[in-house]
Amino acid sequence: MIDTVSIATRPVRPAIAGALRRLPEYLMIWVPLLLSALHLVSFSLWTIWISFTPSTLVPVSGWVGLRNYTAVAASRNWQIAFDNLLLFGSAFVLLSVVTGLVLAILLDQRIRGENLLRSIFLYPLAVSFVVTGTVWSWLLSPGIGIQKLVHDLGWTSFKFDWLIDRDMAIWTIVIAAIWQSSGFAMALFLAGLRSVDADIIKAAQIDGAGPIRIYRRVILPTLWPITITVIVVQLQFAISAFDLVRALTNGGPGIATQLPALVVYDLMFQRSLLGRGAAAAVLMLLILLAVLLPYAAWRYVQRRRAIHA
Amino acid sequence: MRDRTFAPSRISIYLIVLLIAAAWLTPLVVVVLNSLRTNEEIAQASMIGWPKHWAWSNYATAWSGFCVAETCAGIRPYMLNSAFITIPATIFSTMLGAIAGYAVSLWRFRGDTWIYGIVTLGLFLPQQMRLLPWTIVLRDIGLINTLTGLVLIHTIQGLSFTTLFCRNYYAAVPHELIRAARIDGAGFFRIFWRIILPLSAPILIVTVIWQFTHIWNEFLYGVTFTSGQQQPVTAALIALSAAVADIPQHGVQSAAVIIAALPTLLIYLLGGRYFVRGLTAGAVK
Amino acid sequence: MPITTTRRRLLAGSAAALALPAFARAQGAVKPRLTAISQWSAGSDGAAITALGKKFEEKGGVWQHSPVPGFTTEMMNKLRAQIMAGDPPACSQLKGPEIAAWSKIAPTVNLDDLVAAVGYEKVVAPDLARLHKPGGKWIALPLQIYSTNMLFLSKRAMDKAKAGKIPVTWTDFNDLAEKMKAGGVTYPIANGGTRPDDGQKFEAALAGISPASYRAAIMNLDEKALKGPEVGAAFAQVRKIADWMDPNVGAQHFSTNLKRFVDGDMGMMIMGGWAQGVLRNAGFKFDDFIIAPGPSDNTKPVFLLNADAFIFWQRKEPDLQAGQTLMAQLVMDPAIQTMYSQITGSIPVRTDVDLSGEGWSDGQRRTAAALKDAIASNQAVLSLAHNMAQENGMTAAMIDVITEYVKNKTIKPEQAVTRLAEAVEGAR
Repeated sequence: MIDTVSIATRPVRPAIAGALRRLPEYLMIWVPLLLSALHLVSFSLWTIWISFTPSTLVPVSGWVGLRNYTAVAASRNWQIAFDNLLLFGSAFVLLSVVTGLVLAILLDQRIRGENLLRSIFLYPLAVSFVVTGTVWSWLLSPGIGIQKLVHDLGWTSFKFDWLIDRDMAIWTIVIAAIWQSSGFAMALFLAGLRSVDADIIKAAQIDGAGPIRIYRRVILPTLWPITITVIVVQLQFAISAFDLVRALTNGGPGIATQLPALVVYDLMFQRSLLGRGAAAAVLMLLILLAVLLPYAAWRYVQRRRAIHA
Repeated sequence: MRDRTFAPSRISIYLIVLLIAAAWLTPLVVVVLNSLRTNEEIAQASMIGWPKHWAWSNYATAWSGFCVAETCAGIRPYMLNSAFITIPATIFSTMLGAIAGYAVSLWRFRGDTWIYGIVTLGLFLPQQMRLLPWTIVLRDIGLINTLTGLVLIHTIQGLSFTTLFCRNYYAAVPHELIRAARIDGAGFFRIFWRIILPLSAPILIVTVIWQFTHIWNEFLYGVTFTSGQQQPVTAALIALSAAVADIPQHGVQSAAVIIAALPTLLIYLLGGRYFVRGLTAGAVK
Repeated sequence: MPITTTRRRLLAGSAAALALPAFARAQGAVKPRLTAISQWSAGSDGAAITALGKKFEEKGGVWQHSPVPGFTTEMMNKLRAQIMAGDPPACSQLKGPEIAAWSKIAPTVNLDDLVAAVGYEKVVAPDLARLHKPGGKWIALPLQIYSTNMLFLSKRAMDKAKAGKIPVTWTDFNDLAEKMKAGGVTYPIANGGTRPDDGQKFEAALAGISPASYRAAIMNLDEKALKGPEVGAAFAQVRKIADWMDPNVGAQHFSTNLKRFVDGDMGMMIMGGWAQGVLRNAGFKFDDFIIAPGPSDNTKPVFLLNADAFIFWQRKEPDLQAGQTLMAQLVMDPAIQTMYSQITGSIPVRTDVDLSGEGWSDGQRRTAAALKDAIASNQAVLSLAHNMAQENGMTAAMIDVITEYVKNKTIKPEQAVTRLAEAVEGAR
């Protein structure tokens, strides 16, 4: 995601006739982009506004100050959700990057049936979150899933009951999410591996470097920008994994696997507390900004460097 | 990398890859097997099992038999609804995203960085948060309970992704190419049409795959902004999952899941190769 | 306006209609039409609503039902969107205190005259009636009733425990569970672990220990009652129930256990009356199990009411208004209620329907008898777990505490009492 420097010249201030001639292109560029930006900005502002109102079933005007925020922050649901987001977010992003990278490196070893294998790792992306959540809940429920299967096969002391274990249940979401999304990470990494200059590798081989050393010293460093992309995409996935969590654990056992997106939806629509739900949504956006701002800063630095290079 | 082999560890590499692939296939295998077991058989045994009697009728029921309230037409009409939403929304969001990405990367204009930044941030704005604002917008423009409304939502929301990926892809196009064309007097659209679009197949395939699967699998907006006969396929799938007061229809549900996933699975199977190629060609920058 | 129009329709058949000739005749001429939103789409729920629609059409109406599959939340999203768009359905599914809450955001139809015309109020449980007439006017009509605390006993498990008597009090229940355990029943309790399932265990326990305390603590949110000893005792009973369950059940649907329940590997289940239909649809026989009212320490049946209902939204269109009148008449009709309940396995809202005939199961008859007894002894209370006792926000806050308690065995009953009181405070 490094910006290349645009050397296209900015159009000189156009004459009116020129502007008219250019109208279609301006429309085509600006209308969709503006609509998209406008909906994001206005929806966010609207949500911020609602978070300060006493809205319950439907949006109403009014002012309750920070009461919605204090109520959300004080609720056990939100506290658990916040902790879970830190754990789930970091574990999922890290593990899916690792899984994707490992899969990509394995597929890059000139193995037979690469097309088929790639399809196998990619197909979960085609499946909806609800289906993923449901199917994994079948597999991971100890009473009906993998544990029962193994017991029935004779190994009765086998235990795989994370789904009903309050401390481990969040990891079942990590498993399902990795299954579904690391194919995308793999595709990105594979693309990166394929675009590494073959000459550099040849040169390293001539220098007598072994395969592991080549990966560590020559290839992996070039994947850094891709890794950032993967992290961003996976982060987006982590946030939108709402349906998956709802179908897999629905926040349980108890309320052990609550996540902010779940709390937002639950407050807004299930508990009919729009104001509080909006406050939770704003808090969630703030968390996101806390993650994204460093990334934006990093890009800014990169761009400056590129310009001055 | 293709020109190197790791001689000693080939077998272990195959072993690991096959093992992971087996793990990745497990959920699919379980669903396929369940799609061939009767509801009763699953209810009385467990979720993982070999079919006792091959219940092929599950597929017939799923396709055109089961009832969603009064409508006993299976999943078929809902598949069609989903297609009516997904196909236009995918085309519009991809085309507009391609033009926007082209404009932002090669045709820099005042304020482009800002607007591009905001549009990209849209990737991270949770869907649930946008539900009510969309309700208000659709009400005000009179598109509630129309498929057009859903196409509009998915087009505008999809722009975040398509613009991001197209912009990154086009950033790798040599600017000299554009400059030369402009000196020759070619305008914005002419350059896009003649130079950019022919180069775009890989990235367009990526965005089409991405948009198609996301819109096809969407549920929340699909049930809120449609009514009765217009609902998308995900609504019909949910209708099959356990109601509190009913026996879960796991057999038919599994068959319906497979049928409903066929379009997206096919797109991945056919497009998977281009997916990686499209990403290789520049989208990952 | 609908107040007058419904009255007009009522009067239309009588001589008084002559006073309003033009309008009444115009209205009599329109074909009744009903737009409806519900989540009932699959299984017996879907079959029942479809049958109701058929009846509506038989009476000359146009039935336009729009099912919203999935959770109640999605149905409400749809309803909210329609209301915000100024286009509410003529009638929609809604239940419990949500009826009062939603009636504040859009005008509803006053059904008082229609209700009075058939003397409906006399045959509906008083607590139930109250929910459907917030502000003293009927705006919604209950459709069918379930009890959420029916006791299902596995015949085979009873044989293993060498027990023949149906437990009446919680002490009987606990004794039987111990006997089952000793007799080789692996898990005496066969419940599932979803949020409502956990909530049902608690409400069955508290209402069975003391209906008065349940009414005060759960329905009226009385602070003293919430911290009272009965609530603590109920949590202690819930812990016993949880300990007798298969820990592997997790958050699964109760139907996961039905096979083991019928086989006698599991013994008892505290579940809504709908479980009977589920058992039947899963291919099990009525001989395999016994249905009885849930344990009650004062030995008189306690009935935890769960009722589905329709709320009627104001519409200007004459055909929709005619449709609302027809729908209201149908929903209150004993024959329709019989048809509906026989499909879903519930019991009719009307307490004057005779269940001795064919088409009713013993379980339904026992449930209906329990309801009558419970009303007589003022022990018919509203279910918390199924959103009858409190608005959804309060319900969810309370169920949070209960489900966490069921799943986390390190929480002591006293702690749970404190947490429940805190949750109520936080959600007020």
